[in-house]
Amino acid sequence: MRKRNKHWKGIILFILPVLIIYGAFFLYPLGFVGIVSLVKWNGVTPMRFVGLQNYISNFANPVFQTAFRNNFIWAFSLGFIQVAFAALVALILARRPPAWKMLRTIFFLPNVISKVAIAMMWLALYNADYGLINTLLGKLGLAGLEQNWLGQTTTALPAVIFQEAVYIGYFMIIVLAGAMSIPESFYEAAEMDGASVFQQERFITIPMVRGILVTSMTLAVAFGLRHFESTFLMTRGGPANSTQTMGLLLYENLGSLDYGHANAIGAVLIIVGAVIIVIIRRVFGDREAGAEARQ
Amino acid sequence: MKDRRLTPTDIIAKTGKWFLLMFFLFITFVPLLWLVISSFKTNIELQTKPFNLPAVWQFSNYVEAIRISGLPQLFLHSIIIALSATFLNLLVTSMGAFAFSREKFRFQGALLNLMLAGVLVPIIAFMVPYFKLIGALKIYDTLWGLILTYSGINIPISMFLVTGFMRSIPAELEEAGVMDGCNFWQRYTRIVMPLSKIGLVTAGTFVFLYAWNEFIYALLLTSSMKARTLQLGIQFFKSQFVTDYTSMFAAITLTIIPSIAVYIFFHERIIKGLTAGAVKG
Repeated sequence: MRKRNKHWKGIILFILPVLIIYGAFFLYPLGFVGIVSLVKWNGVTPMRFVGLQNYISNFANPVFQTAFRNNFIWAFSLGFIQVAFAALVALILARRPPAWKMLRTIFFLPNVISKVAIAMMWLALYNADYGLINTLLGKLGLAGLEQNWLGQTTTALPAVIFQEAVYIGYFMIIVLAGAMSIPESFYEAAEMDGASVFQQERFITIPMVRGILVTSMTLAVAFGLRHFESTFLMTRGGPANSTQTMGLLLYENLGSLDYGHANAIGAVLIIVGAVIIVIIRRVFGDREAGAEARQ
Repeated sequence: MKDRRLTPTDIIAKTGKWFLLMFFLFITFVPLLWLVISSFKTNIELQTKPFNLPAVWQFSNYVEAIRISGLPQLFLHSIIIALSATFLNLLVTSMGAFAFSREKFRFQGALLNLMLAGVLVPIIAFMVPYFKLIGALKIYDTLWGLILTYSGINIPISMFLVTGFMRSIPAELEEAGVMDGCNFWQRYTRIVMPLSKIGLVTAGTFVFLYAWNEFIYALLLTSSMKARTLQLGIQFFKSQFVTDYTSMFAAITLTIIPSIAVYIFFHERIIKGLTAGAVKG
């Protein structure tokens, strides 16, 4: 046995509070979700063990299938499209164009404002009658493109996903910090060798921020899978379940006291999230990213 | 870069670059600006001249907003919850981080990694257990329920930021303190804590903004005005204000002012904290 630290009483006293709260809000819920996903339970009458029945009936349910598919659309949109645009904007700002500091600060701003306030604002923008988007289209002579954006099954999901573009600053900030930490001398050397701006980005910046891009993509895909707020606030999963997500269904099942199915969805969220993170790191990660995962 | 002649490719690239920047400026900022400006208009102006400045700035919208929405009480709840959650979170994580970063003990690495791994967990998967936990603790529909939940959810991020910061404090400073007779407790209160101010401010800013802006668990863990937060209140604006959109915009504007104020004061810290995780890797 190792020698006992002479401050062991103090150490226990110091780590106990944080461990207890962590246990209550992470470990206990993890066990709870795992166990209750295997039972039939309404919170009042005794639990009845049903094995994987909750998972099976979830995946057989067409509404859940839509939700599952939508979460993957979300994950793809955020992980690939949003991160790609965020990276592009970051590479532009890293070259310090005029007002780049101000642009950086403004692009990030929506991330500190509540999703509720922003969703309410976009409800007003998308509104079919007085909404700014339709008004703008009308003024530009494109009245034919006016839509009831959130009210029809064909446009609701794209409209809700497009709204997420306001959060571009989150990943932009992360990539920008990485790009700006690359020594200036690398670019000076490339410049001397006659490398164009595109070549410099392609052969210096992108390889240097690769690890950060993989991290951003992983985070964005995870955010897509657990997406809840703006859809809940803007469409509640409608019209006709076209914007349904797993998180919303979990909330609905909880509301109808169907804890078994609710937790089976929770378990799917956790498991699929973990698997996707591993896959992304395998496919896009390199040695550098592997080191990061171990940290 | 400076003396290169402009080729057609350069011109296309330059145009594309500014188009992209303007597009995102338009998406991220113009709606906010429109919201704030619209909140000073009459409802008729909003419908007929959506892009103009108000003819007369209608400050009465704000009086109306406060009267209809019950904002003062919602504000009070949100402030109490966000400040208390931040305090509780920083208290337990700074103590934990102190032990984890300045001492050696068994299972240290495993326990810390276990806590840090929490950032990867989708918190919405925990709706049922949190609902049950808060119910069992008899703090459902109270401010305490949300205070405890928000400080708990933010343990992984705070532990990451504060432990990382405390590790960077040179050991010599602490050794000097021990020579002067500081015990374990005094090393925490007199040496490490004062030196960790920046790390604590960064973590605290994250917890505060999270608690201020959180919606899902505010929805799930409250049922009445007793503990309703601002974010939950906004949801009811649509039914409260009916068609008085401009007063509703005024109410929404009031709710985002604190976030913007925090951002103005702490944006350097927020950006540093956010990039600490990603860039270090």
